[in-house]
Amino acid sequence: MSDSTNSPPPPPAVSRPNKPLSEALLNEKWDHCLSSLLIRSSIGVGFGVVFSVLVFKRRAWPAWVGLGFGAGRAYEECNSSFLRHGKEGIRIQRP
Amino acid sequence: MLRASIRSSRAIGPRANVARLGRQWDALRTPRTVSSGMRNYADKPSIADSRPAVLPGSASSATNQPAPPGSVASSPSTTGTSSASSIPSSTSSIPPQNVPRTPPPPGKANAPPPPSPSSTPPKPKPKGRFRRFLITLVLLTTLGFGGGIYYSRVNDNFHDFFTEYVPFGEEAVLYFEEREFRKRFPTLKGRLRSQPRDTGEQIKIPSQSGVSWKVSEENKPGSTGRHSDATKVESAKASSKSKTPENANSAENSTRLSDPVPEKTPEPSPPSSPVPPASAPEVDQPSKFPPEVTRIDPLDIKDAKEPVVQDLVKIINDIIAVVNADNANAKFSSTIDKAKKRISEVGGKIKDLKTAAEKEASAKVEASHSEFDRAAQELVKRIEGEMAHQEAQWKEEYENERQKLHDAYEQKLKAEIERAKEVNEQRLQNELLEQALELRRKFMAEVKDRVEEEREGRLGKLTDLSNTVTELEKLTTDWNSVVDANLKTQHLHVAVEAVRANLEKSQIPRPFVKELAALKEIASDDPVVNAAIASINPAAYQRGVPSSAQLIDRFRRVASEVRKASLLPEEAGVASHASSWVLSKLLFKKKGLAAGDDVESILTRTEIYLEEGDLDGAAREMNGLTGWAKTLSRDWLGEVRKVLEVQQALDRDSRA
Repeated sequence: MSDSTNSPPPPPAVSRPNKPLSEALLNEKWDHCLSSLLIRSSIGVGFGVVFSVLVFKRRAWPAWVGLGFGAGRAYEECNSSFLRHGKEGIRIQRP
Repeated sequence: MLRASIRSSRAIGPRANVARLGRQWDALRTPRTVSSGMRNYADKPSIADSRPAVLPGSASSATNQPAPPGSVASSPSTTGTSSASSIPSSTSSIPPQNVPRTPPPPGKANAPPPPSPSSTPPKPKPKGRFRRFLITLVLLTTLGFGGGIYYSRVNDNFHDFFTEYVPFGEEAVLYFEEREFRKRFPTLKGRLRSQPRDTGEQIKIPSQSGVSWKVSEENKPGSTGRHSDATKVESAKASSKSKTPENANSAENSTRLSDPVPEKTPEPSPPSSPVPPASAPEVDQPSKFPPEVTRIDPLDIKDAKEPVVQDLVKIINDIIAVVNADNANAKFSSTIDKAKKRISEVGGKIKDLKTAAEKEASAKVEASHSEFDRAAQELVKRIEGEMAHQEAQWKEEYENERQKLHDAYEQKLKAEIERAKEVNEQRLQNELLEQALELRRKFMAEVKDRVEEEREGRLGKLTDLSNTVTELEKLTTDWNSVVDANLKTQHLHVAVEAVRANLEKSQIPRPFVKELAALKEIASDDPVVNAAIASINPAAYQRGVPSSAQLIDRFRRVASEVRKASLLPEEAGVASHASSWVLSKLLFKKKGLAAGDDVESILTRTEIYLEEGDLDGAAREMNGLTGWAKTLSRDWLGEVRKVLEVQQALDRDSRA
């Protein structure tokens, strides 16, 4: 964190030579969102299953809860990434 | 308490029951007899306390504690009690100040118990206890006080403490010390009285006492001044007694001695005599000497100024004093008279000798005086003569010196004047020479001017000719430059055309650095071309610029993306993005130059401009987008701008 604040962000042309085209920005974001949704929900399901096996006598609801947690986390991240667009590299400090 | 009981038993013992005492107090009987005369402080409490004396039966070993007063009534022997009552009177030798002056218990201390043995009823307990406490307190206080006094006389530290902190301690201790002192030195009693103790009062010194500036006054025989002898005052009577006969005797002696020696003074005690008559008044032996003793008068010579005579007289007077003191006047008076006579003769001889010597000395002094006067006059005369001689010599020398100085100054003056003349002449000559030189130079300058004028007139025509020739040359060179410029522009045009062709023809963007370098070389010093080339973005000629077809192709792609995000609100999350994407599929597409500021109409307008080949207009339209649409079309806009810059630069170059 301190590094990012101390050193000014280098020019984008230099830092990202394979910078995506501007018209592909949204598509890229969507891709990111979908993949993260998949990964996180699967992780949540896995945790839920493990818990259900270990603790909850193989009930079904822990798996659903895990899935919900994972999907919710992915949704939140995606939302924030959309909202945060154009403000990368700027740290907003909440009071 | 214990001791008190013992005391009481002792007091009663010998008479009350002798048989029992015989075995108990045999050893103590002898001190008992002594104790009546000799008492010490340890006995005090028993003295003050008369109560134990009342007890008759306390002598028995069974009653160690003092019996209550009630038991007195039961005592059978009154004789013992009476003897006991006499004890306080017998101890009256103890000084009263040692005995505490506390009021004795009423009807107890002084009143003998026998008159009221039966009348004293058994006292109530609390009163008796209080009394006992009081008595013990008093006893202890007295004891402590007495002990303190005693110990303060032994120990100095305790003395200080006692006198300082205990009330009345100082007075008591002082009293006892004084008593002891008086006992030790009874003879000093009177003096002690006369010298009061140092009570802290201020000592007054009378104003007449002490040493004063005055010369000591003459002591009159009767007066007792402050310098008078101390013994005289005390034994004034005795001395007067002894003096009167002495004076008479001395008068007789003097009358006797004055006959052979006329210089002796008839006075009994001359004040100027070297031997003082101090031996005469003796204080305590006036009665020892017989009054008929004749005394030899001390010798006195009036004009005894010579030290030799004085010494002699002193010796004789000493002898006389000795003889007087020995009371052997009768024996030595004749011899001493003789001696006196001789001494007076010797004095006379010495006087004669002295006068003769004085006369001689005065004569010698006068002679020497006259001699000295003569010598002094001679000296003065000689000195005057020498002074006159010297003055004359000095005057002569002064004259000579003056003459010499005068001559020397005159010579110097002459030399100075001559030199000044020479210098003047030299200067005048120099001036003359300078003037001649000036004239010659002026002449030369004039000649030169004339010659120059002549020459200018001829050479002016030649220079005109040469000027016209150079002008002609300039014209020819101008023509050359025009031709060169023409060539250059042709080259430039070619180069620019090459660049443009390269741009137009290329299907994929290619770098055109080489063409641009060639163009710059051709237009090496053309500021317009240089500025145009500098205005091109370096990225453009390094990577190349897309052709218009490529641009349109890319625009199609960008437009589809922009349409997806055309319905987004300001702050769009995932849900709004998704809904915008879904809903944008349902939108109708516009055609032609649509009016309106929405994204769809802007996009259609841009497409039409592009189809017409108006890149500038298309860029302007796309620049009007906002939000996500603008972000998505940013790259395409950048491309279009680059192409426009290059086109502008080339147009300017071709125009230049």
